[in-house]
Amino acid sequence: MMKRTLWAPLALLAATGVWAAGETIEINPPAEGSVSTEEGLAAWGRIYEVASHPRCANCHTGESDRPMWSGPSYGKARPHGMNIRAGESRIGAEHILCSTCHTTKDEDWSNANAVPHAAPRVAAEWQLAPVEADWFGRSSVEICRQLRDPERNGDRDMLELAAHLDHDLILHWAWAPGGGREPAPYSLQEHVNDILTWGVAGMPCPEN
Amino acid sequence: MRLTVNGTEHEVEVEPEMPLLWVLRDELNITGPKYGCGIAQCGACTVHVDGVAVRSCQLAIGDLAGGEVTTIEGLGQPESLHAVQQAWVEHQVAQCGYCQSGQIMQAASLLDFNPAPTDADIDAAMSGNLCRCGTYPRIRAAVKAAAQKLQGA
Repeated sequence: MMKRTLWAPLALLAATGVWAAGETIEINPPAEGSVSTEEGLAAWGRIYEVASHPRCANCHTGESDRPMWSGPSYGKARPHGMNIRAGESRIGAEHILCSTCHTTKDEDWSNANAVPHAAPRVAAEWQLAPVEADWFGRSSVEICRQLRDPERNGDRDMLELAAHLDHDLILHWAWAPGGGREPAPYSLQEHVNDILTWGVAGMPCPEN
Repeated sequence: MRLTVNGTEHEVEVEPEMPLLWVLRDELNITGPKYGCGIAQCGACTVHVDGVAVRSCQLAIGDLAGGEVTTIEGLGQPESLHAVQQAWVEHQVAQCGYCQSGQIMQAASLLDFNPAPTDADIDAAMSGNLCRCGTYPRIRAAVKAAAQKLQGA
């Protein structure tokens, strides 16, 4: 049976993804001490809008190994059709591989996800986010505390969170999902900027 | 563009975005894999790439990356059927037969991963392969019989 590192390509944001061809991200954190807690909390609010968006949360289902279908194009929220379970491997190795339908792109052709209702595909192995990154239906406080906890965020600091968003191509798809799917809010660059702003502010979380 | 299907190398002149299913059926005249939905919702087009089940309508030929393709035509031969094909005949699984190429390829892949699947394992692995004739109980029985054949082999 295949074993994969849980924090491999997916981990943080979104669970499914193609990247927009040629998209590059700049990682320029604000100067130390230049961001107030208030500004940090405002950045967190935008980060939560992204993390809780269906494009991201549908594959951050925590202890459940069932990805979700929810969002404007799905009607009522429900588990992924076809009895799909990602298993402990999070790639479906124990049941049916995610890659059976979510094939892995080799050539970076930009219209790979143009067809509505087809299985999205990216230049990375499709998978469910790690159990610790439990976002679906979770509150702002819960997700915030998880994302700033090295025990549960893949042992990443602020810059590593930003770099993760830059490198892991599966995450990029959330902002260019195609097929009539609603993209995650803001842009990938704006989201990275918010992560850095929140980080420089000391990763503040809402009280409740 | 080169690809290997059922052990034979082929050269095709197609756009890299063309789905593998189109290449198989329209360019190479390998028509065992069926077109059902074109969006990975039915499983009729299932083939193996490097031994693992893949929906060929979802795999662009440019993304094949040297993977070796096996279709139902290459899984077994009339004189030496694959255990899943043999079980399919013995259990008279097919009614209209349209889905069975994909069903058999998915089942063969399942048994490579899991040689002794439970009913739940079979349901989990086969739920993406639709059968409009509703032969699911016979599919499950045939997969279990094939597993026993393979284990006894």
